[in-house]
Amino acid sequence: MKGDALKPSMILLATTIVVLLAALWRHYQPPDRDLAFPAGEIVIGVDGSFPPYAFDAGGALAGLDVELGAAIAAEIGLPVRFVNLSFYGLYDALITGEVDLLMAALRVDPARMDDVRYTRPYFDNGLVLVTASFGVPLNGAAQTGTALAFEYASGADSQIRAWEQEGQSFARMPYELPTHALDALRLGQTDAALVDASTLHLYAKEHAEWDYRREFVTRELYAIALRINRDDAWKLVDSALGALKERGELAKIVDRWF
Amino acid sequence: MPTKSSAAPHERDFARKQRDSILIILGLLVVFALIFLLRPAPRDWLPAEKKVVETTKGHVCVHTLLENEVEEKKILRSLELVRELGATSIVQFFPWAYAETRAGQFSWSRFDRIVQHADRQGLEVIARLGLVPDWLNDDESKTLNYLPDSAFSKFAEYAAAFAARYVGLVDRLIIWNEPNLSFEWGYQKVDAARYVRLLQAAYPAIKATNPEAVVLAGALAPTLEGRGSNAGLNDLDFLRDMYAAGASDSFDALAIHSYGMLEPPEAQPASDKLNFRRAELLREIMLEHGDGEKPVSITESGWNDHPRWAHAVRPSQRSAYTIRAFEYAEMNWEWAEQLCIWAFRFPADLQSYPDSYTLVSADFVKKPIYFALQDYALGWERSEDLWLPPPETER
Repeated sequence: MKGDALKPSMILLATTIVVLLAALWRHYQPPDRDLAFPAGEIVIGVDGSFPPYAFDAGGALAGLDVELGAAIAAEIGLPVRFVNLSFYGLYDALITGEVDLLMAALRVDPARMDDVRYTRPYFDNGLVLVTASFGVPLNGAAQTGTALAFEYASGADSQIRAWEQEGQSFARMPYELPTHALDALRLGQTDAALVDASTLHLYAKEHAEWDYRREFVTRELYAIALRINRDDAWKLVDSALGALKERGELAKIVDRWF
Repeated sequence: MPTKSSAAPHERDFARKQRDSILIILGLLVVFALIFLLRPAPRDWLPAEKKVVETTKGHVCVHTLLENEVEEKKILRSLELVRELGATSIVQFFPWAYAETRAGQFSWSRFDRIVQHADRQGLEVIARLGLVPDWLNDDESKTLNYLPDSAFSKFAEYAAAFAARYVGLVDRLIIWNEPNLSFEWGYQKVDAARYVRLLQAAYPAIKATNPEAVVLAGALAPTLEGRGSNAGLNDLDFLRDMYAAGASDSFDALAIHSYGMLEPPEAQPASDKLNFRRAELLREIMLEHGDGEKPVSITESGWNDHPRWAHAVRPSQRSAYTIRAFEYAEMNWEWAEQLCIWAFRFPADLQSYPDSYTLVSADFVKKPIYFALQDYALGWERSEDLWLPPPETER
């Protein structure tokens, strides 16, 4: 009798162990490339209107997202095809399976995570506080009293208003363009400038002789988006991105476009 | 000598603990009752009095995006700023999926809040209807813009219910959005004849509940896609196809999206170019089909001023072009009843170049374009500069 009473609980325990082992086995199984991309190619949705991430270079798509996408596909060992999409159609194209993944300077958006899974980030376009190399010390926020250059009504402007609401005060130096704010810094007309990382990268490339210090004030992480149920594809893409990062190739690709 | 009645020490201890526990519970109840009684009454954000828009330009309109706004005070703030801008009307999206969360059961409170606030600010509302409820489609690979033919009548029921609820408050209704783009058409091949069937289902249903309603067809997206493209079909051919499919009897006005892109507003239109005056080409097609009596609403327009987007201009150009566009429309487009700028404000910034279409940032920072439009609409002349002159460089 006692043995009979134990039987159902033993069966339940055994089933649970088997299910757990199966889940663990599945988790640690190397992803199957053919299952991940059954069409035998990787289709990447990009927004070809947003340099330097993706743009039309004489009839062909080029840019950071395009070169990195091609490098990831090569790492996985599959051909790649790019689909040029408008910003507003990006996620719908992913949901409907028009594309396998999105690489379009997309920030990691927590509101999308019911449908979408992001890889590790490949670029941070947060706001950076920039000073001359000999300028005021940085500590993640500008010091009260600092003359601060920025683009009027931009994200930098909002950040400065937030600092002011916290009690700091600055000599505000608004400009029409973020590059004007960096010009002012380079020419010694302000203590610091607050711009996004892409603007700083592009500006620094154009003024290679300019020596500056910079510190991230906010994070805006760009990552690759896949449908949440494409587990094998996600593993392949994320580990390919990781491998490129580890070998220093991601940094080289970023440098080429900035 | 202990008496019989005296309790053992552990019993006295237990009784004391019991009494203390009761006192603590009573104390907590009193605290909770006080918190409940002294809590501030929920604030009614709806202004008591109806405001009047002071403006010199009746055709100024903005596209708002209040459907996803969680905080009522932000709806109020947005619409106050729209009124202070001198705009007389807004285009606002009213997603079907938000109203009919279960088949046949409508929940209007979210929409009521927007419509009431707009009314109190003295603003006319042009409603854009779309977005399919998920109970109509259990295929996860379909988007919320996917509407099977079998559900056209369901959409018509929603449109009719909406029209009935807001009679006198919302009398202009746009049927769908940019049906000439495949992603707006649920990633199906775009098909003007199918869109016309949707119009033909919605039009009589709306008129039955609100005979004064103005049903707007469109709003067609400006695009150069040719026939056979997977992305969509250009607006000119799509409109011709709509007429060929018998659309004429099923709309009262045409909604057009007319963006300036990189060109100034006066630039000549052409079928292979996207610019502000492309609207004139659509108007010509209306005239060719005998629809000259019907008015047009430009329900999306504007320029983008992101520093790096390929189709953006500088903020100062954006302001100048936008004002000249309004002046051009006022002078030359007597058939255009509104010119609506995309977009007033996003509830949260997208952190990408579409943010540079807005007039006000998510945290309500007014952009140069806001001040420029306000000056235009109110006849003001602002003297102060918004930004410093560019530093003198060797460039």
